[in-house]
Amino acid sequence: MSAVGIAKQVEFHGESLSILRSASLTLYEGESVAIVGASGSGKSTLLSLLAGLDHPSAGEVALFGQSLTRLSEDDRARLRRDKVGFVFQNFQLMPQLTALENVMLPLELAGRRNAREAARAMLERVGLGQRLQHYPRHLSGGEQQRVALARAFVIEPLLLFADEPTGNLDPATGRQIIDLLFQLNAEQGTALVLVTHDSELAGRCDAIYRLVDGKLNGAGR
Amino acid sequence: MTFWGRCLLAWRFTRRELVAGELTVLGLALLVAVAAMSSVAFFSDRVERALTDHASQLLAADLVLNSPEPAPAAIRAEAQRRGLTQAENISFPSMVFANGQAALATYKAVTDRYPLRGEVSVRLAEGGVRSGALHPLPGTAWADARLISRLKLKLGDALEVGNTRLTLAGEILREPDGTLDLYNFVPRLMFNRADLAATGLVQPGSRLRWRLMLAGDSAAVAGFRVWLEPQLNNGMRLESVEEARPEIRTALERARRFLGLTAMLTVALAAAAVGMAVRRYLARHWQPVAVLRCLGLSANEVWGLFAGLFLLLGLLAGGLGTLAGYALQSGLMQLAQQWVGGLLPAPGRLPWLSGPLSALVLLLGLALPPLLSLRRVPPLAVLRDELRPSPSGRLTPLAAVAALLALTAWQVGDLTLAGWLFGGLAGFLAAVGLVAFVAVWLMRRLPTGVGVGWRFGIANMARRPWLAVIQIVALSVGLMALLTLTVVRGDLIAAWQRSVPADAPNKFAINVQPAQIEPFRSAFVGHALPAPELAPMVRARLSAINDRPVRPSSYASERAQHLAEREFNLSWRASLPSGNRVSAGQWWGARAAPQFSVEQGLAETLGIRLGDTLTFTLGGTPYSARVTSLRKVSWDSFRVNFFVVAPPAWFADQPASYITSFRLAPADEDFINQLVAQFPNVTVIDVSAILAEVRAMVDQLSRAIEALFVLALAAGVLVLWAALASTRDERLFDVGLMRALGASRRQVRSVVLAELMWLGALTGLMAALGATAIGAIAAVKLFNLPLFVNPWLLPLGVISGMLVVGLAGWPLVRRVTRSAPAAVLRAL
Repeated sequence: MSAVGIAKQVEFHGESLSILRSASLTLYEGESVAIVGASGSGKSTLLSLLAGLDHPSAGEVALFGQSLTRLSEDDRARLRRDKVGFVFQNFQLMPQLTALENVMLPLELAGRRNAREAARAMLERVGLGQRLQHYPRHLSGGEQQRVALARAFVIEPLLLFADEPTGNLDPATGRQIIDLLFQLNAEQGTALVLVTHDSELAGRCDAIYRLVDGKLNGAGR
Repeated sequence: MTFWGRCLLAWRFTRRELVAGELTVLGLALLVAVAAMSSVAFFSDRVERALTDHASQLLAADLVLNSPEPAPAAIRAEAQRRGLTQAENISFPSMVFANGQAALATYKAVTDRYPLRGEVSVRLAEGGVRSGALHPLPGTAWADARLISRLKLKLGDALEVGNTRLTLAGEILREPDGTLDLYNFVPRLMFNRADLAATGLVQPGSRLRWRLMLAGDSAAVAGFRVWLEPQLNNGMRLESVEEARPEIRTALERARRFLGLTAMLTVALAAAAVGMAVRRYLARHWQPVAVLRCLGLSANEVWGLFAGLFLLLGLLAGGLGTLAGYALQSGLMQLAQQWVGGLLPAPGRLPWLSGPLSALVLLLGLALPPLLSLRRVPPLAVLRDELRPSPSGRLTPLAAVAALLALTAWQVGDLTLAGWLFGGLAGFLAAVGLVAFVAVWLMRRLPTGVGVGWRFGIANMARRPWLAVIQIVALSVGLMALLTLTVVRGDLIAAWQRSVPADAPNKFAINVQPAQIEPFRSAFVGHALPAPELAPMVRARLSAINDRPVRPSSYASERAQHLAEREFNLSWRASLPSGNRVSAGQWWGARAAPQFSVEQGLAETLGIRLGDTLTFTLGGTPYSARVTSLRKVSWDSFRVNFFVVAPPAWFADQPASYITSFRLAPADEDFINQLVAQFPNVTVIDVSAILAEVRAMVDQLSRAIEALFVLALAAGVLVLWAALASTRDERLFDVGLMRALGASRRQVRSVVLAELMWLGALTGLMAALGATAIGAIAAVKLFNLPLFVNPWLLPLGVISGMLVVGLAGWPLVRRVTRSAPAAVLRAL
């Protein structure tokens, strides 16, 4: 993944507000980076630009050697479907689907066979073998995030975006989730972009970028 | 993703959403709407089939000459010359005597070739049911189920029919030209024409109808018709396949329209539930859609997925709703069996399609426009709540109106009429809504210091006044219809019966021959009963008013057309009958010249004025005279009354029969049997039995209609559910907050219950007021009764409203009071 000089400005009450100014960042296969910053510093905006969920006002993002700005919305969607995983702060599970069905979903979207078996195996891997038929509302926060991890890793993505994955969890559960995330990451050799405000967590990544006043300061590896 | 891959995904999604209960209200609302639409579609289809495909069966011939006299020999000869097959039946009312009891029946004496078209279905004494071109053999008779039950008959019993005895050899299950007349509740007795003379029932002045039935190839029938038409006279009427049984067509068409309207009411209410359920569904799904976008579905794929889901749901609800509609329609037919039962053929294939199709039209109008907003959900919405798309604007209500209008037009088969009906329906619902809105507004001004449940309950309702109004309207319309059909109907019939004087005659005797007058009167005296007064009667056709020929086509109203076509019963007498009052002109003195006195209502209908010259034709002879008086007649008195009366002696040379009415106590019922045994040609009509028949028929019909209104009420309950569901999350949050602040389970329950009870009370109040208004209008306009109000209707309405809403809302009460506050708050 490479981002070169990306910026984001939004119109707010007739004024142009600059959220992100000329950020550049490169990530190689199997590498992990953390993006840290205070609340409201634009971390999530950066993540959405890197993942192709939003368009930058300037600059260019390329994933797997393809420039996102040149791809149509549908092509970007296909790229995400086949190669990218997501983990969100508020889990973003489908409330009307069971744990198993939530994990099966990306496999089904990609038209893969044996979705049920793969999803079951993945849920067993994250320690939820006994919770397959539970709906998200019947699961604790930690369990929901495990389901989300299973959903993200089940397609064996080349790149994973994690947006404050422990933000809604207590410290002990949060640690367990992070341990699991890094284990799975190592097992699959996935590249990881982790957005967090927790510097201890950031320290587990290969590189740390700090976002201050819309500027991305590259940090040491 | 391939097309089939998408279909598979849509199917999986639908299944999962159904299991998770996300589609319950939406699916049920669609199902109710489809059940209402398709039950009427099935009914209409059967009627349509009966009227078109089977028209000649309804007639039992290709052409029928209906006349009060035997068809002239010249006509029969011409028919024969043209190669037409002939059969003849003669029908008239008379008494049947069996097992020591007598009952009135419509006799039908049939010739050997009957029926020329269609089939008779009969259960025979020797066992088994037979269908085909069948008729009773000489010496035997067939009766319908009503006569058999009334006289407690068994197959093989002997019947006294006039002066002869016939053996009951079969029960008529279906006859092609059977009666299907709402006013004809007299049971049927069919026997062979060969036995007619022996009965001795054919007397001058008897009320006989000859039906000369003809069949042949269509060119011969058409040619004969052209030849015959100029020769028709004296109450002769042609019935043909094209205009077969206009009375059936009109009655069934009316029934179909009425049922169609009821169905549309249900569909309109169900549409409100569908609309609300779709809104809630989409409100709960924009975030999952954002996740789907993140997981790599394009905007079009997301839209296709949900369009596929709605399509599958429409087909599923459409299919199940059609089955429910079929069952409902069969139930309606069972209830109304006696007057439509065996006559209607099975429905065809088309109505099976109409159910799923109407579900799709409803979804197209109500779900498609809001569904389009899903295309605008960006994947970024997973991170940003504020990117949630607003529901689409003007398109939504327009599409909803278009869908409902299309369904109404389909239902009534006429776009202009559909527009008026739809406008009327919308106006009616808006009026109910306005009253409900005022009621909710007033409630907010009630004292609030009564308790936490009361205060929060009202506050909850007032917080969403439009939602409350929609719920009240939807529920109260169904409840109002049901109250009207049950309580108000019973009240009206009871009041009407009370309005008949206690000493009013309860029996009519017709067909008394001139020579029988004195013995007939002595029979009464011999039984210590007052001798009745007998009035003479001749049948005549009004042929001209002021020398202008009377033609049915010159009148606009149906009643006037009917009167212009049929034969009148004319009577003569010297004195003004009791219960009559001269409203214009003067009654004649002794030895008056020929002149007429006409009943005022009839004069108004046919446009007859005082001083006009009327010409009546009796047995081919014209009788002309001026109208010298108009009379007001109190028909409720149940005395013998005539539309047209002349002075005595004028028609003396015409064959007349005599008619009388009298009152008989239940203890004297045996006297009727003696009377009929002594005068076999006399027909005794039991008015109280007919009233009981009318009541039974009204009961059956209104039960059939009730079944449809139960659907309307079910649609109302679904609107309530949809409304409660759409506010459930908000409510759960309120309750969670209250619990967190220390409210007890009881307090929480009382808040939710208070709101439901208020909603129910208002619903019931509206329903009761509506039913009272309908009852009052019906009493004054339809029954000519003084205005009356049932004081119990109001409490009954309020209590049933609270019950319906309470029961329907109970799951919500349980849900909010059972969960722990943290769980409730976390669930959001």
